[in-house]
Amino acid sequence: MGIYLKGLQIAYSGIAVTLQITISAVLIGVALGLIVALGKMSSLKPVRIVFSVYVELLRGTPLVVQALIIYLGFPALLQSYGISFRWDDAVLASILVCGINSSAYVAEIIRSGLQAVDKGQMEAARSLGMNHIQAMRFIIVPQAFRIILPALGNEFISLLKETAVLSIIAVVEVTRKSMLWASQSFEFWPAYLGTAFVYLSITIPLSRLVAYMERRMAQSDRSK
Amino acid sequence: MIEVNNLTKEFGKLKVLRGITETIRENEVVCVIGPSGSGKSTFLRCINLLETPTSGEIYIDGEQINKKDVDINKIRKKLGMVFQNFNLFPHMTTLENITISPIRANKIPKAEAEKSGAELLQMVGLQDKAGVFPGSLSGGQKQRAAIARALAMKPEIMLFDEPTSALDPEMVGEVLQVMKDLAHRGMTMVIVTHEMGFAREVADRVLFMDEGMIVEQGTPEEIFGNPQNERTKNFLSKVL
Repeated sequence: MGIYLKGLQIAYSGIAVTLQITISAVLIGVALGLIVALGKMSSLKPVRIVFSVYVELLRGTPLVVQALIIYLGFPALLQSYGISFRWDDAVLASILVCGINSSAYVAEIIRSGLQAVDKGQMEAARSLGMNHIQAMRFIIVPQAFRIILPALGNEFISLLKETAVLSIIAVVEVTRKSMLWASQSFEFWPAYLGTAFVYLSITIPLSRLVAYMERRMAQSDRSK
Repeated sequence: MIEVNNLTKEFGKLKVLRGITETIRENEVVCVIGPSGSGKSTFLRCINLLETPTSGEIYIDGEQINKKDVDINKIRKKLGMVFQNFNLFPHMTTLENITISPIRANKIPKAEAEKSGAELLQMVGLQDKAGVFPGSLSGGQKQRAAIARALAMKPEIMLFDEPTSALDPEMVGEVLQVMKDLAHRGMTMVIVTHEMGFAREVADRVLFMDEGMIVEQGTPEEIFGNPQNERTKNFLSKVL
């Protein structure tokens, strides 16, 4: 029994790094994602194309490959041009990689949220003399935000799990902690059981919360 | 005053409006009737530029509104619009629905906007619904709230786009009553409607539209009592 608790304890000691990366990345993802979403909805075709390509590139490649490119590939590229650069902190690189990766998914979430608001809402706001920006800010975005909140919660959950691949670039988060301990103690079963349990202890409450938000939304839809 | 000169609107190949010329005077109540797809709503939506006309001119108080460099937000403040589907803002209370635009678009102090908002709610008989969200209002109450919201911008002209079409029959009366009160106060109103009894009672003038044109127009007595055009006769024989 003690060995299982040890496994859990080891995995748990990486939680701060995992959460730090996930939370920062989602915040970056939301900020960047909003810009990308608006870019993809731009009336200018070249702008739309640029942002569509951005989203396609990020969604079309695995996160682990993106991490390798940014963490190892990018410094090597700079070095080949004689610029000396390396990441001092793998966590910082991870936040950047995950944030950029997340922005592509968040952009799609925001875009569909904005488009899910009934067209009549914009018409009503404009017919009342609000300009486009006021209508977006006071009428469309608040409603879109309610629509996308559950999806953002799901994005947070999936990004949290995805951060496990960062162990490949030597970020000492939950999974990496367990790997290090397992390779040294050979307690593979307690080690990785502990890893799984730590992720579940976050994802299960979060997904319950998302389900609750979805139910609440369905109710308010019915009473519209 | 609204002056419309040779207004056309095309959606792709579909010609929805085929040259409308019409003047709506101050304090006039004009009802627009006609079969579905005749362009009534499009005509109304062109007046506050929710649809961009393909050609022709629209003047509000002598100022052309469908040309470049016009501040459309300023023009729209003169025009109140009431929609078939209410389009209340579901994330705001009834009172907030009414005050948001005066506060944000007209920069009126919140306390002042709330005071006139409460008066408007009183006028449409919803004084006890100020703090309630639109989701828990009945259809008739929603539409009355939407009328109050449009009036909060102190418009010179009110446009109604089939305001009672989405309502259960027992709720039509309360909305029409509010509109009647408004008409009696001298509001200039353009009303697209299927309520022939209401048009007959309240309208100063009735426009009959068909296939993107105003086919016939006149006083309610003329249109309902003695229609001249075959298409008007045909339409009225079906709906009356």
